[in-house]
Amino acid sequence: MYAVDSPTTRPTTGSGGVQQHRSSGRSSRRPRRNRDNRTPWLLSLPTVLFLLGLLAYPLYRMIVLSFQNMRLRELLSGAAPPWVGFDQYSKVLKDGAFWTVVWHTAAFTVVSVCVSVVIGLAIALLMRRVTRHVRLAMVVAMMFVWALPQLVQAQAFLWMTDSDFGVVNYLIDKIPGVSFQRHTWFGTPWQGWLVITVLVVWAGIPFLAISLNAGLTQVPKELLEAATVDGASPWQALRGITLPILRPLISIVTTLSVIWNFGLFTQPWVLRNGAPEPEFQTLATYSYTQAFGQSRYSLGSAISVITVLLMLGVMAIYIRQMFKIGEVD
Amino acid sequence: MVATAPTRTEGAPRRHRSAPDADGVLTVGRSKPATFLANLIGVVFAIVMIFPVYWVLNTAFKPGNEVLSFTPTFLPVNPTFDNFVSAIKAPLFLQDLLNGLIVTMCAVLGALVVGFLAALAIARFQFYGRKGIILVILAVQLVPFLALLIPLFLMLQRAHLTNSLIGVSITYLVLILPYTVWTLRGFIAGIPRELDEAALIDGCSRFQVFWRIILPLTGPGLVATSVYGFIQAWNEFIIVNTLNSPEKQNLMAWLLQNQTTRGTAWGPLMAGAIITSLPVVIFFLLIQRNIATGLTAGAVKG
Repeated sequence: MYAVDSPTTRPTTGSGGVQQHRSSGRSSRRPRRNRDNRTPWLLSLPTVLFLLGLLAYPLYRMIVLSFQNMRLRELLSGAAPPWVGFDQYSKVLKDGAFWTVVWHTAAFTVVSVCVSVVIGLAIALLMRRVTRHVRLAMVVAMMFVWALPQLVQAQAFLWMTDSDFGVVNYLIDKIPGVSFQRHTWFGTPWQGWLVITVLVVWAGIPFLAISLNAGLTQVPKELLEAATVDGASPWQALRGITLPILRPLISIVTTLSVIWNFGLFTQPWVLRNGAPEPEFQTLATYSYTQAFGQSRYSLGSAISVITVLLMLGVMAIYIRQMFKIGEVD
Repeated sequence: MVATAPTRTEGAPRRHRSAPDADGVLTVGRSKPATFLANLIGVVFAIVMIFPVYWVLNTAFKPGNEVLSFTPTFLPVNPTFDNFVSAIKAPLFLQDLLNGLIVTMCAVLGALVVGFLAALAIARFQFYGRKGIILVILAVQLVPFLALLIPLFLMLQRAHLTNSLIGVSITYLVLILPYTVWTLRGFIAGIPRELDEAALIDGCSRFQVFWRIILPLTGPGLVATSVYGFIQAWNEFIIVNTLNSPEKQNLMAWLLQNQTTRGTAWGPLMAGAIITSLPVVIFFLLIQRNIATGLTAGAVKG
């Protein structure tokens, strides 16, 4: 649906040469068109330089580095690291531990994004049904969660799931017939990832619910009422009216969630005290530990390159959607 | 967008419990039990969401023996400020607070100046390469910055900028720059072009248009953008933890250090977490509307 060119975007996608001659007649929309290219470029120059120097160049360096073998010795002596071709990549791809990390990261991303988008949507719909005071309470609770730094969110969970004095064990232990005293949450991968997932979903809901609720205010009330009068069930009204209208917004928040959750670092890092066990590594923490923990800078770079490549598709979807919107402005 | 003052629908009796709040809420097919059930779920949801925040506060005000108790109390029995005092007196707390402030200020101001110019170019000029710049600005927001940490570390190491506040400031500047440009672009684009044109006709130079019209009108936008940049830079700890030694880090990194070195000193840790979060929480609540719309700009226009 995004491939369809809306009328407003068409003029700018046409060739610049034709537009130049017409510019005087259409000056209300683009008053400065082509008068000169120097001013805007001069204005953009500092930004461009910063982005080139500290984003584009490191990106290039990262790719180069992944074909070399940079270790602590090269770092200390300043000697040029030897060129090893695809050695780092074949080492990574043959490594069973790497594939476990990929599997964990991907499975976590799918589960956490699905759960948080569904809950976020449900909460957004719920916010339309509750009375004003309850809605205010929901918004305030979510705003506080959203405002907290990721590190603090994770430390709160670390403390709550503490095996000796954590409140979570205490509360679960209250359930009759369940003994959870001194329960260690990070003893098995499933339970550990459960804690991480609950943390990420909890932290992600405010953004999703509040954005989607803002989107829901755009759904014409008359349409929903007409559907109800005509005998549509609430479920049918949701499927037939609300979701189609919300679709662009849902696709944006979902792609953003995928990008954020796939790059998961802080939560496992904090919950595992800065040294995640192999079963709690994500692609981001794995690359980091290889590089800065074991001084395998090239291996870490290769993992980062693979991570970025894996995310490229999702990023393209987001940019396409944003670009369309940016053009319409 | 959510907590706007609702205007009641005409004729809806004021005290009627299940009366809709009239900001687009469906009015047909509502029963009292359904509304009650919805309210109940809403309240439970709010309590579950806020619980971890409450637990942090609860812990921070408890004396040590209450924190390390097998039957946790849900309100401090003997509330105390000791945890806050011991957090502030802990080694490097004030040093790292100062470092964080310096680094954040430099990064935000730098990004604001640099970003505003680019935003002006993108919002007000049609030029060759404009689309390319927009594409790059959108794309780099998505690249996980951590992936670039390895080459950045090696570059800064070579330039002797590791373990210095300058290196971190520059890195944070670049971290928040794309968002700054993109958000300011939105604010500038929101100023009617007719104002520019009227000023030009009245004899203003281009610089005067910028100085007297665009800059003042973007004021609120500049504040919102810089506050968001502040939050980003303040909350960052991985980069500073990698580049610098503890005496050149910020409060977030300090919190992480204390988590691992102090083991079970949960009271002071939670108190430190509250002190560290306080500025960003306040700032966040002030500008929350802009954040929600910034990320999904325009998608809710329908």
